[in-house]
Amino acid sequence: MLSQQIQASKHPPELVVDVMMAVQEHYGYLSDEALEEAAAMVGMAPTKLDELATFYTFLYREPVGRYVIHLCDSVICWMDGYEPLRDHLCKKLGIQMGETTPDGLFTLLPVCCIGYCDRSPAMLINKKAYGPLTSEKIDEILETLRSEAAETTPS
Amino acid sequence: MAETTNTAYPQVLFANRKPDRIATIDDYRKNGGYEAIQKVVSTLSHKDVQKIILDSNLLGRGGAAFPAGLKLQTVADDAPFPRYIVCNADEMEPGTFKDRVLLHADPHLLIEGMLIEAYSAKAEKGIIFIRPEYENAARILEREVAIAEKAGFLGKNILGGDFSFTIDVHRSGGRYICGEVTAQLNALMGKRPNPKQPPPYPTEKGLWDLPTVLQNVETLCCMPPIIRNGAEWFRNLALTESGAGTKLYGISGRVNKPGCYELPMGVRLSEIIEKHAGGMPEGSEFKACLPGGASTRYLSRAHYDMPMDFETLKAAGHRLGTAAIMVFDQKTCMVAATLNLMAFFARESCGWCTPCREGTPYIRDLLWRIENGRGEPEFVDILKKQCKYLWNAYCAFAPGAVSPVEGLLADFEDEVWAHIHQKTCPFKASD
Amino acid sequence: MPKLIIDNREITVPEGTKVIEAAERLGIMIPRFCYHPALGSVGACRVCAVKCLEGPRKGIQMSCMIDAQDGMKVSTTDAEAVDFRKHVIEWLMLHHPHDCPVCDEGGHCLLQDLTVSGGQGVRRYQGPKRTHTDQHLGPLVAHEMNRCIQCYRCVRYYQEFTGYEDLGVMQIGSRVYYGRFRPGTLESPFSGNLIDICPTGVYTDKPSRYRGRRWDFERRPAVCLHCSLGCHVTVSARYREVVRQEARFSESVNGHFICDRGRYGFPYVNLPERPRSARVDGTETGWEAALKIAGERLESAAWKTGPQGIAVVGSARCGLETQGMLKRLADAKGWRGPVFDIDPAAANVRTAVSRLDSDLRVSLREIETADCIVVVSADPLNESPMLAPALRQARRNGARVAVIDPRPASLPFQFDHFPVAPDDLAAAMAILIRKCADKEPLSELGKTAVRSLRGVSDGADIPDADGLAALYDDLHDSRRPVIVCGTHTAPPEIPGMAADLALLLRIAGPRAGLFYVMPGPNSFGAALLSDPALSFGDLVSSIEEGETKALVVAESDLFGSGIDWDRLQNALNKLELLVTLDYIDSQTTRAARILIPTLTAYETPSLSINNEGRVQQSPAAFRGGDPIARTGGGEHPPRAFRRDIPGREMGAAWTALPTLGGRNPGSAPVNLTAWLGDAHPALTSLPESSDFPPDGVRLPLAENAGERFQTDRFSHGEKEEDALTLLVADSTFGTEELSSLSPILKELTPSPCIQIHPEDAAEFDLSTGDAVRIDTGAGTAVLPVQTTDRIARRVLVIPRHRDLDDRLPRERRTVLSKTAIRKATEDA
Repeated sequence: MLSQQIQASKHPPELVVDVMMAVQEHYGYLSDEALEEAAAMVGMAPTKLDELATFYTFLYREPVGRYVIHLCDSVICWMDGYEPLRDHLCKKLGIQMGETTPDGLFTLLPVCCIGYCDRSPAMLINKKAYGPLTSEKIDEILETLRSEAAETTPS
Repeated sequence: MAETTNTAYPQVLFANRKPDRIATIDDYRKNGGYEAIQKVVSTLSHKDVQKIILDSNLLGRGGAAFPAGLKLQTVADDAPFPRYIVCNADEMEPGTFKDRVLLHADPHLLIEGMLIEAYSAKAEKGIIFIRPEYENAARILEREVAIAEKAGFLGKNILGGDFSFTIDVHRSGGRYICGEVTAQLNALMGKRPNPKQPPPYPTEKGLWDLPTVLQNVETLCCMPPIIRNGAEWFRNLALTESGAGTKLYGISGRVNKPGCYELPMGVRLSEIIEKHAGGMPEGSEFKACLPGGASTRYLSRAHYDMPMDFETLKAAGHRLGTAAIMVFDQKTCMVAATLNLMAFFARESCGWCTPCREGTPYIRDLLWRIENGRGEPEFVDILKKQCKYLWNAYCAFAPGAVSPVEGLLADFEDEVWAHIHQKTCPFKASD
Repeated sequence: MPKLIIDNREITVPEGTKVIEAAERLGIMIPRFCYHPALGSVGACRVCAVKCLEGPRKGIQMSCMIDAQDGMKVSTTDAEAVDFRKHVIEWLMLHHPHDCPVCDEGGHCLLQDLTVSGGQGVRRYQGPKRTHTDQHLGPLVAHEMNRCIQCYRCVRYYQEFTGYEDLGVMQIGSRVYYGRFRPGTLESPFSGNLIDICPTGVYTDKPSRYRGRRWDFERRPAVCLHCSLGCHVTVSARYREVVRQEARFSESVNGHFICDRGRYGFPYVNLPERPRSARVDGTETGWEAALKIAGERLESAAWKTGPQGIAVVGSARCGLETQGMLKRLADAKGWRGPVFDIDPAAANVRTAVSRLDSDLRVSLREIETADCIVVVSADPLNESPMLAPALRQARRNGARVAVIDPRPASLPFQFDHFPVAPDDLAAAMAILIRKCADKEPLSELGKTAVRSLRGVSDGADIPDADGLAALYDDLHDSRRPVIVCGTHTAPPEIPGMAADLALLLRIAGPRAGLFYVMPGPNSFGAALLSDPALSFGDLVSSIEEGETKALVVAESDLFGSGIDWDRLQNALNKLELLVTLDYIDSQTTRAARILIPTLTAYETPSLSINNEGRVQQSPAAFRGGDPIARTGGGEHPPRAFRRDIPGREMGAAWTALPTLGGRNPGSAPVNLTAWLGDAHPALTSLPESSDFPPDGVRLPLAENAGERFQTDRFSHGEKEEDALTLLVADSTFGTEELSSLSPILKELTPSPCIQIHPEDAAEFDLSTGDAVRIDTGAGTAVLPVQTTDRIARRVLVIPRHRDLDDRLPRERRTVLSKTAIRKATEDA
């Protein structure tokens, strides 16, 4: 699908972010090899892709968990309890900001305002928004995702 | 939430907004949707459309408030083809969520707005540049664009005329700077999204060096109603002489009913807070607000009754920005709030020019020291100097970044000094 | 022409001049980091801030971003501007490691200079410094990212100017990082310029790391001798060794940059195997004494055989003085020669020199302003590397660049390649010439030109003949077309046809230019001063026939000639006397009966003529002598003290040559430039060395020579059906004589290979990675195959390589029969 779009495009570099996103979707993150694969698809030098991959928030050059939690730390969420929620999440997952749980399920990352200030405090998990959050709601969400993961992962 | 409150004011952009439901193409058409483009294609020249938009005094809703009609007119008659329309749905200004609400309410309004813009710029390709956090909206748009195409409003020879136009949805990788016009065009071309100082202007040499008109979602959504009802009608929607149209005010922070409200341009701040946003919570008093996102100056108590319009705020030395009103109460530490904003800017600076790249983390560090009881008296002068010199940065990012700091130093300097003298945050101490 | 006032001084500058440039014209150097004249303005660093007091703009402005305009009043010393610049420096120094004492850039660091001159001396920022991990970037450039001030010069130079994409800018905000996707050797053969262009010590010169501070070095301007372009360099010498070279600005030749071959080709000067003492019959002898013995033996040889029994040979790497003195000696003594043109491409160079009219020739920098360029029979990147960035700049300005050459041309920009087989090159050029001759103003002249093409095919069977015809239309519609023609591998008629085309275009309308690329640094001088009646092949024959008994060879390795090595060795064995003067160790110096070591162009002032006929002067960079590393066993200061410099006895070749004339020497010249005029009339009016302009002087050449069309050169031997043409090509590193001796460049020298079109390869059951056994006529080699569809059909290309020297044909073009190549199987 994407390769068709690339072929049809007069300017393949316009699709470079989409391609990186798709490759990331497939491999979980943009390893060096994944980046090279994406580069080959759009006919650009790997360096040119790395210039972008290291620029954007939602392209990951390091391994991330199955669920990437982006917890909003901008001013409204901060005012509405970002710090205690962050501490709660860290404690609950047993990781610090920027880390991934040992079971590979969750990665915790900060993110700037995600545009859910009317539902703050808010977070994104795999680009899906949740808010307004409380510790209890977070526990619930994590539990749901854990069981979802357990169901879809062949044991 | 929002939709129940303000029946008193005409709902133009939110005419089809329903709780928890996206307006379908049928909903949209029932209320006169796609009549504007019909009128445009069958009766108006592209110059006519430009004239109407210009006369309507529609100012860009993305924050810069540049007249939308004027921008269209900067596309030269003999400018090359193909030309592009870019819809800036990269709503990343902290506190701002109006475009998200609008996209979820009535996607076809945007599609028709883009059609009108495209017709008047003689563009044949439209791109919606959307932030990755709005994946849901991106999917809605892709779906509705396909529906519009099927209904004959997009594609070749629209409504039987010789006007052709298509729309692609482009998902960003996610960075604040991508909201800046020239950075956004670089991003669309697969380049690093650094801003690029004009000339040439995007309407002259934008995407792939071809004329490109970029507008905010809300700006484009204003166009179909303007075409349907006329420029004068639109101007008269505002409460102030200087304003035009309605405006989506997004209000958040210390209010009872945070949300996005469509109100006439120039409505007073006090009215927005008290009437529409349900007032402030028990025990909270208005201390300040950011009137239009993180890159505006704080409005203090003195401006509580300010008519919220681009011109009135400008006259008072402020900016309406995105009209994302963030309300702070007396229990909020303004140093800490400003530190949070500065941390955002320091993290999002693209790193192109020195003042922004190095100055924003510098200011963040000073504010962090002050907030954490390590402030020194000379920091205040250093801060003032840093703010002043960040205005000499390459693009508007750094001047925006220092706006809250300037506001802090102008209206809450005593709070800063209290931190320094007490060697702790007074708000923490009192907790 | 806007007139403005900068610091109370008025200046008028051309439209479009930036204020920073206008100030520079007044001698006011506004601080800058991101701005560079070759890269233009981007307004990133903000350190060039000035205050506009009056005019269309007011207040603090970046002087690199604003055009000079009428009525502007600019202050560079305004208190606010100075204070702002100081703040910019403070910002830039927030994360700088302050490691100047151990940084190679220390002492010639723009950041250091501006920090000190900006008065930024107190650290106020208390936050932590960000740090980076460095990368290995290969043997030439060291990487130290912590020092970086994010001016973006490196990536802009690397990606925009030279067109390579393996160095980029990563990350965002204060973490911005310049580096490669993966650590590894930089791909650009112009990477060394990163060292010059970086305003601080992020990129430093790896081979000279920790070898000295700038003030420790003897630094002199010089002219690069590693191809015919004659780029300008600055030499740094210490302890009687050349330590490093940097690019030196030249308005007309190389601009701001040089290639890595030129930058790192110098170690031949320092090599331990360099001959440093004279030898007579294998015995070390004093320099003067050896010269005297040589003179006596030559005189007695002349008694026996007559003066015609002695011949003199030089080369394209001889300085103009040496070339001139060889001619003077031969003329005075009645000896044969001089022969300089030992390279098989000699005849091409001679044609080029004779056809390079003053009104047609363009300089390297002028190529950047061309709008349509046809490169014929040349491989810019591999033959004259700096030609490639010049072509790229033209391309960036919108020029069309087309390359007509059988080799798999590769250039760091988009161009059109016509992979035309060597035998078809004349027909390809004829397509262009015939189309040009049709044009209106040329009626008579055009007919003459077409008549001269008798015997050349109409080129209909050339692949993409239509493309060539369309190329002509672009040439004709351009304002400033340039024909670039190589001489290394070109068939003999091509240089003349290139001139024909340029000449016709010129008359047909556009202001056409002509640019030849030549094999050696001083090929031009060689072509002017050699004996036209004597070729090196004739000379070898005359040795074989016993007519020539003694040979004086100055700075020339005969084994690099077009003569088969066994034949040459046998001929040299027949000689009664071989006197060799040289500064490198070669087969010829080893074969010499009398060896006279000479000074390199780094140790003696020297003139050379580049490919466009520009005479350039290099002063001595240092006085020569044995490197202290050798005399002191690496210790410094030396433990033994003496007044003279050890190893300083030797002189330049041209000062030695008169003594070889024996009792009746060709008298050592008093006035260098005056006697060069005797050697060739074109050299008559060279300026005194003290008056030599920085960009040299262009020789007066024939002007508007008119109807001098290439004729009677179009004779091809009948070729065996299915035959293949073997081209012995050059590569950027490892083929040019002097730089191939550089240990620094060894790692960059590609390993030997053979290139072939995949369809031709298939015929021999070959594909990339296979080994092929090839009988080149000179020997048998087993080489890995590289297939590429960018090569002409029925053509094999082997880049020259030291490991293959004895097995490659001496001719650049050889016709091989099909049976000469076959797949090398493992058991074979």
